[in-house]
Amino acid sequence: MPKRILRVNMNNLEAKFEDFPADFAALGGRALTSTIVEKEVDPLCHPLGANNKLVIAPGLVTGTLAPSSGRLSVGCKSPLTGGIKEANAGTPFSQQLAKMRIAAIILEGKHKGSEYYTLKVTMDKAEFTSADKWVGKGLYDTYQSLFKEYGDKVGICGVGIAAELLGASSGICFNDPEGLPSRYAGRGGVGAVMASKGLKFIVVDDTGAPGVEILNEEAFKEGAQKLRKALTTHDVTKPGGALNSYGTSVLVNIINEAGGLPQRNFSAGQDDRSEKVSGEVKAEIIKERGGKRPHACNPGCIIQCSEVWCKPGGKDPVGVLEYESVWALGPNCGIYDLDDVGELNRACNDLGLDTIEAGGMMGVAMEGGLANFGDGKKALKLLDEVKNKTPLGRILANGTAFTAQAMGVTRVPVVKGQSLPAYDPRAIKGIGVTYATTPQGADHTAGYAIATEIMGVGGTADPMDTSKADLSRNLQVATAAIDATGYCLFIAFAVLDIPEGLEGVVDTLNGVLGANLTVADVPGYGQSIIDVERKFNKAAGFTEKDDRLPEFFLKEKLAPHNTVFDVTDEELDRVWGP
Amino acid sequence: MTILVKIFGDLRKKIKDVESDGALPLNLHMNTENIEYIKDILQKLSIEENETSHIFVNGVYAGFNKKVKDGDRVGFFSKNQALLYKWYFKREEDD
Ligand code: SF4
Repeated sequence: MPKRILRVNMNNLEAKFEDFPADFAALGGRALTSTIVEKEVDPLCHPLGANNKLVIAPGLVTGTLAPSSGRLSVGCKSPLTGGIKEANAGTPFSQQLAKMRIAAIILEGKHKGSEYYTLKVTMDKAEFTSADKWVGKGLYDTYQSLFKEYGDKVGICGVGIAAELLGASSGICFNDPEGLPSRYAGRGGVGAVMASKGLKFIVVDDTGAPGVEILNEEAFKEGAQKLRKALTTHDVTKPGGALNSYGTSVLVNIINEAGGLPQRNFSAGQDDRSEKVSGEVKAEIIKERGGKRPHACNPGCIIQCSEVWCKPGGKDPVGVLEYESVWALGPNCGIYDLDDVGELNRACNDLGLDTIEAGGMMGVAMEGGLANFGDGKKALKLLDEVKNKTPLGRILANGTAFTAQAMGVTRVPVVKGQSLPAYDPRAIKGIGVTYATTPQGADHTAGYAIATEIMGVGGTADPMDTSKADLSRNLQVATAAIDATGYCLFIAFAVLDIPEGLEGVVDTLNGVLGANLTVADVPGYGQSIIDVERKFNKAAGFTEKDDRLPEFFLKEKLAPHNTVFDVTDEELDRVWGP
Repeated sequence: MTILVKIFGDLRKKIKDVESDGALPLNLHMNTENIEYIKDILQKLSIEENETSHIFVNGVYAGFNKKVKDGDRVGFFSKNQALLYKWYFKREEDD
């Protein structure tokens, strides 16, 4: 059975399987979502109208036994940025889709009425049922009920109350292996796009799925073996390494020491109270409380950076508290209490809000006087406004830039309308170049992987050095390629240092595709994805002026280094320029 | 004349006689006597160089040969905390 596309027309509630075009054969994940969006979506359409489309695609090796490969991409025109969007998540849902040989679900049109639907997808059909009974309900209870109704073997993706409000900071929520609504394709308002069409949940049941077709078993096996060896021996990715021991939050103390952990809406780069919300403290509390650490966000991940945070006695599990989320809802709001952060993260998951955008929003809301910095309880109350669908809740659900405008705040940490993540670009310039120039809007993952050495063109590694165009471009290109494979970005740490690991990645791709790619093909493949995304953005009206950081990063010095973001516009334009 | 030395993660276990507060870093106020370089601090604390990962001096990513002085803030991370986008950081040394 060949791969298929499931095309879902929400105008007339029709879902049908189509052949997967032969010229898409080498496309998966981000390569596929961005290609379909660029081909099928009018760049000038309203992101929440009938002419936008939402595409969900597992990576090329997702669903196989390749380690740490259970990621998927969600693509559309973003209501937050107005440009193309790829949001990425790790979840068993992606593996189920891949095993059912569904290369992509394309959601199009818009249901006319005010009802919401659930789409149930099995091997040979896709059916709609009413989802109205879940409207206005939190996702933790809802996911429990959905698993009861559909059985605990299904995969679920869905949108919450924030998306019902068409909030531009709403994500699409996927279940983790425990069934918690905690794995988010969070960024860019992808949740609002799904909700705008009248779809609330997709439930996949992979009973009878044939599994992923592997055209060259030998190459695949050899590649998976090489990659597994790299991941289990490298200091960062091996069992007992940083990601496995502490999760991504190990970065809290590291970036605070580096003077680049933004505090109180990006007004300082260091505050030692951040130590109280560090990965080390969190790991210890999780152990005491009987949560889980380490944990895999999808079966088959051997890095296992994930975890399950909970209340004392193992009660009320939340899921993972990622570094970005802890920072956004913690230090960025002057909140240094892990239980407050945990409850804010729970509220975001329950409402279907992107934690980074929600934290950025809360930072400007606090600066605008809606709460005092540090007041975690008031922050939770503000999220109740979203839950209760009040006018204030509607403002907050639209994210950082919208809230800042409503509150008269001029220090607005966004690029292309999307909130900056947890590294201050005044202290770490390279990531600032990525924030400015990625087609995605401020996004750390866009230029985060693989090293300059592999790509052959160096970039200087001093965080204060301002010639960062080559470095950022190489990282962005490599990341785009990884996002197409379905591998987790964190494999980059190992494949960067261990050449056989990268060979293993390419071998597994060759195994699945029956191709003869080499490591040298990776940059060209990644660049072609970025080219497609930039083409869409250009047609949507983006120019170099959109590849800039907000003014206050250029004028306001950040302690402790007392530096501004001083990368020149010419250098920024050099990333994609001639 | 002291240097603030912050000890993170499992390295805290190497420091005897100092009460640790949960998993928070240890803050040691070390006398600068006989301390010129980062490596001198490690020696005083009986920490091997290969037991460390990231080292910061006043927010600057630093190596074993970085000079230190009165009033500096130094952070040592344990081996199993290695997680930096090393392409964003270069170790600063002084010799
Ligand atoms: S390393 Fe972490 S985020 Fe990546 S696939 Fe594994 S558990 Fe998920």
